[in-house]
Amino acid sequence: MGLHIVVLAKMVPDPEGPPSSFEVRSEEKRVAVRGLPPVINPFDENALEAAIRIKERAGGSITLLSLGRNLSRAVILKAVAAGADASVLVEEDSLDQALLDSRSTAVLLAAALRTLEPFDLVLCGRQASDTNAGVVGLGVAQLLGLPAVTLAQKVEVADGRVMVERVLSDGYEVVECPLPALVTVSGEVGDLRYPSLQAIRAAKELPQRIVRLQDLEISLPIEAWVETVSLAPPRRERSCRMVEADTPAEAGERLAQLLWEDKVV
Amino acid sequence: MALSDYQRDMEGCSRCSSCKWVPFNQIKSWRFAKNCPSICRYNFHAYSGSGRMIIGLSLLTGRSELNDNVAEIVYKCQLCGACDTACKVYRDDIDLTEVLLELRAHCVEQGFLMVEHMAMIDALKREDNVLGEPKAKRGEWAEGLPLKDINRERCEVLFHAGCRYSYDPDLRGTVRGAALLLLEAGLDVGIAGAEESCCGGRAYELGYRGEAENYAEDLLSRVKASGARILVTPCADGYAHFRYLYPRMGKELPCEILHMTQLLDRLVREGRLRFREQFPLLFTYHDPCHLGRMGEPYLGDWKGDKLQRPMSLKRAGRKGVYEAPRNLIQALPGAGLVEMERIREYSWCCGAGGGVHEAFPEFSSWTARERVEEALATGAEALATACPWCVRVLRDASREMRAELPVYDLVDLALQAAGIAEKERV
Repeated sequence: MGLHIVVLAKMVPDPEGPPSSFEVRSEEKRVAVRGLPPVINPFDENALEAAIRIKERAGGSITLLSLGRNLSRAVILKAVAAGADASVLVEEDSLDQALLDSRSTAVLLAAALRTLEPFDLVLCGRQASDTNAGVVGLGVAQLLGLPAVTLAQKVEVADGRVMVERVLSDGYEVVECPLPALVTVSGEVGDLRYPSLQAIRAAKELPQRIVRLQDLEISLPIEAWVETVSLAPPRRERSCRMVEADTPAEAGERLAQLLWEDKVV
Repeated sequence: MALSDYQRDMEGCSRCSSCKWVPFNQIKSWRFAKNCPSICRYNFHAYSGSGRMIIGLSLLTGRSELNDNVAEIVYKCQLCGACDTACKVYRDDIDLTEVLLELRAHCVEQGFLMVEHMAMIDALKREDNVLGEPKAKRGEWAEGLPLKDINRERCEVLFHAGCRYSYDPDLRGTVRGAALLLLEAGLDVGIAGAEESCCGGRAYELGYRGEAENYAEDLLSRVKASGARILVTPCADGYAHFRYLYPRMGKELPCEILHMTQLLDRLVREGRLRFREQFPLLFTYHDPCHLGRMGEPYLGDWKGDKLQRPMSLKRAGRKGVYEAPRNLIQALPGAGLVEMERIREYSWCCGAGGGVHEAFPEFSSWTARERVEEALATGAEALATACPWCVRVLRDASREMRAELPVYDLVDLALQAAGIAEKERV
């Protein structure tokens, strides 16, 4: 039996949208998104790309696993078409933003992963572009008792082991661990390849399984441990000082002096 | 804005079906009496402007849910605006096109996306054009032309080529010709070359508003830096978005915005461009939606009861560009103009708009064939138009139908009439 890689993919509002598309609603303690489509979290796309490269070298199969409510089939389809073999969606109306903190997400994903056993490698992004917590991957590894390596810029599999180039602030280190394992992937891996329209249409034929919460071996209801106490946009304060002088040259000199004192230059 | 902002518009629809027809006082024959390609092709009320408003209201009030079938109905529409124009003959309080656009945005936000549209948006993100062509090649059309590079120097007239003109090999001569005509008239013309981006309007129409806003921001800063007094584009889509969408988004461009036909008409009238060559052909003219009714400038928003809205703020399509292209045809020595039945603000769409050309090519082609049939019915020897998307699909349709009806871009006609085409060839 070939290598089985599971890629965890979170659906997020397109992070490339302009700031005006995000409205902080303090009363509702949530950020409303306007005019943006859902996309696969870019770091999870990097993870999928890493998985496809492993599959190209070592063979095997890739399952894309996503979790949430109203998951966009078109978005999943495009991701799967890039090189996955199947998709599994844990989907329920109750799985909204308020319920899904990092812990509950990890619990649900770990339970979903148990239904996909046997798997050799779990890949996911280093963090999600909407919350940027970077906790879920490690949480899943903890719950499943898997060794975990974070911040991968290159992932290779050979002889039942995974070799990971792990990003450091001043270079990288190579980490090796036995399979099965979980690796969180960084942007340095590279962008997910873009599938052709024909490939996207053909991907409609690939198997897709919808999993409900009652299908998972977890105790319900799932509760969020993190409570949002308040949510507010950062305050922007601007102060304006006029530099006055008799001549432009003098004004320039004073301006330079002020900038120097304020440690701007 | 959101779908909820148009609840009263949707509730106000009396289902009279006027949105399906050319305004009754303008109908000339039963054959060409319908105005909406979608209802005409699919013949079920949901595919009409009214039907889509009923869908929108139902979704908004939670009486039904979005699914793939409903989303497909929303997307099987060229957003040509004909339904809106017809509706506004009778109603002052419904902005139908806005409802259609809000429905698109709603579908996108909910993740009901067409993969073909996703490909266009990805192409935009990667290469800054909706065709997925390499960004580095965007300025290649202008090779060898003495045009200023606005990335390095200021100019009086900024020429925005647009996506299709920049890359469609069949239209290469047209876009070069447009620039040559401006140079012939002695204008100080600059282009952004490889740095030119899509106007983003197509993204807005597909429902990807955030993406559209990014492009508007980009173009605004580029125009400011160029110091241009006039922005001219041969792309009708771009023109409409610069005139309507940008100011509506608060990104008004600080210069006069002209479509190529408007500037050519001005140059001819001022005697700065002379048409010398004979053109003994009988033309009919196709009004591109984005130059006509959708090209109507932004008139300002009206808050409150739309029944109280001043007529000056009612967007009924009549302030689009209709005269300049016709003036140009009439200025061609020896040429004649015969009108089709559906013209000006109640013109039939070419079929290319709203992402239909990409997602439903058969529907797009059917719509274009219908227009070619209408053109043939006039007895015209050639069809002229002023939009690269219209030229593309009408030319393809004419070829598919084996119709003896050449489809011209007005720029090509002006180029030949001014005798520049020959010079360029030499």
